[in-house]
Amino acid sequence: MRIVVADCTVNYAGRLSAHLPRATRLILIKADGSLLIHAEAGAYKPLNWMNAPNHLVEEEGRWFITNGKGEELTIDLHEIHMDTAVELGEDPGLQKDGVELELQRLLSEQPEVIEEGLALIRREYPTPIGPVDLLCRDASGTTVAIEVKRRGEIDGVEQLTRYLEFLNRDERLAPVRGIFVAQTVKPQARVLATDRGIDWAEVDYELLRGADTDILRLF
Amino acid sequence: MGSRSPLPILQGLLCEVEGGRLRVTGTDNEVTVRTYLEVEALEDGVTVIPAKLAADAVRKLPSGAVSVTAADGEVEITGNGPRFRLRELSVADYPKIDDSLPADTIDVVGETLVKALSQVGIAASTDDARPTLTGVLFEENEGGLRLVATDSYRLAVRDVLGIGATGSKLVPYRALRELGRTVGDGPMKVALGDREAAFLTDQGRLTVRIIDATFPKYRQLLPDSYPNRLEVSKQHLLEAVARAALVAEDHIPVRLNLHEGGVELSVIRQEVGEETEHIEGTYEGEEMTIAFNTRYLTEGVGAIDSDTVVLQTIDALKPGLLHGVGDEDFRYLLMPVRL
Repeated sequence: MRIVVADCTVNYAGRLSAHLPRATRLILIKADGSLLIHAEAGAYKPLNWMNAPNHLVEEEGRWFITNGKGEELTIDLHEIHMDTAVELGEDPGLQKDGVELELQRLLSEQPEVIEEGLALIRREYPTPIGPVDLLCRDASGTTVAIEVKRRGEIDGVEQLTRYLEFLNRDERLAPVRGIFVAQTVKPQARVLATDRGIDWAEVDYELLRGADTDILRLF
Repeated sequence: MGSRSPLPILQGLLCEVEGGRLRVTGTDNEVTVRTYLEVEALEDGVTVIPAKLAADAVRKLPSGAVSVTAADGEVEITGNGPRFRLRELSVADYPKIDDSLPADTIDVVGETLVKALSQVGIAASTDDARPTLTGVLFEENEGGLRLVATDSYRLAVRDVLGIGATGSKLVPYRALRELGRTVGDGPMKVALGDREAAFLTDQGRLTVRIIDATFPKYRQLLPDSYPNRLEVSKQHLLEAVARAALVAEDHIPVRLNLHEGGVELSVIRQEVGEETEHIEGTYEGEEMTIAFNTRYLTEGVGAIDSDTVVLQTIDALKPGLLHGVGDEDFRYLLMPVRL
């Protein structure tokens, strides 16, 4: 990770034109090549960025970054306050809440709890925007993407909607339908899911775990 | 009466007097009970009285006739001396109760239905988190009525011959438990509509909202045959399990060692002690040990309407089936506890 703090002017040309007048900013160049320009404010969102893969040409006082889509970023460096590189090493990834992860594991072992006839294709099925918790096939052979949450709220439905959008672009999988699964699904999340054509289901964590205890159940 | 309802008016009972007949209605918006009583009426009228207080007041009055007068926003309840004056609730606020009956009704002997419901009702769950399991399934079975309830640990099935039924409906047991106590067990008309089930006698009427959920597919849990079969006295088994339960409490299972000549019951609780005993009976099959929750076992055996009970098993981890000897109209499937 290269970290640069500099007085800079930025010009972007591509889908649109953008200009950042001279100011002190943080420029991050990640190991994968992606470049982000941050200001003091603005929370987590960069002012401008260029995803990898791209091509960076460093000249004295000026950087050119271009990519295959014809986008161009020009950074004029007027004064460099800091320019350092740190090896962060491999990241273990976002650790999910323990119960949620356990819920996902239990459901992957018994997906029929969610819906009769459901069979697991794989856990953590990758999509360009992150892995979907469970990818299954239903009784009719349709692919089903399942997002598992401890508490089923609107943002979980949004997340699943985005996954479905990407998964449905894959001709081998499409059509892919979604099921939003949680211990409890909030009323707003139910409405939003239904509105988006996503099914939802509530599952009993204790009950799912029950299979491992001495207390046996009929179903 | 609506102890489960946030609406204050549902804490009241609607009392209507007309032509010498008192009609009392209580509802929590899910269950509605309406009963009739012949009274000596000086004047027809309508009032809503606070249910719990009025009922407790009447119960505490000295025995004899009770007189109720409603006037000027107050209800006076007197009997042999004591006099209660209770604030009346608003008659206008009381929900309108639809008295119509669905077209399709079935005629049943109330006593038969009430008893059958009490047999299966023991297996119904009281956990509102899983509403499907709090109901009794009424379903058509080979020209008769079948009642089924399960809390997922046990399943009770009761076939009632001579009662025609169509389709299948899930009725909350919470309401059915009150059936005999409220509308009585005389000749009864039962109407199973899409939204409500109604039970009607000449004493009153109980209406309850149907549970809109799919009952578990239970038929696949009932195998055609079992390799092991024990026959034993119901009385002896109940008494033995009751003794075992003294040591077991609720969470420790009682072990049943099934062998030729009967069954040995044993319970071991490490920090307390143990109890064992043998009950004579007939056993056909491989010697085996199976363990059950004492309460579930007691309730199941207790519900069997026969002096001799049959326990059929497959193995220690598969559900055992209990029923009366020569009588499989009532069957109780009980999941064992892993040892």
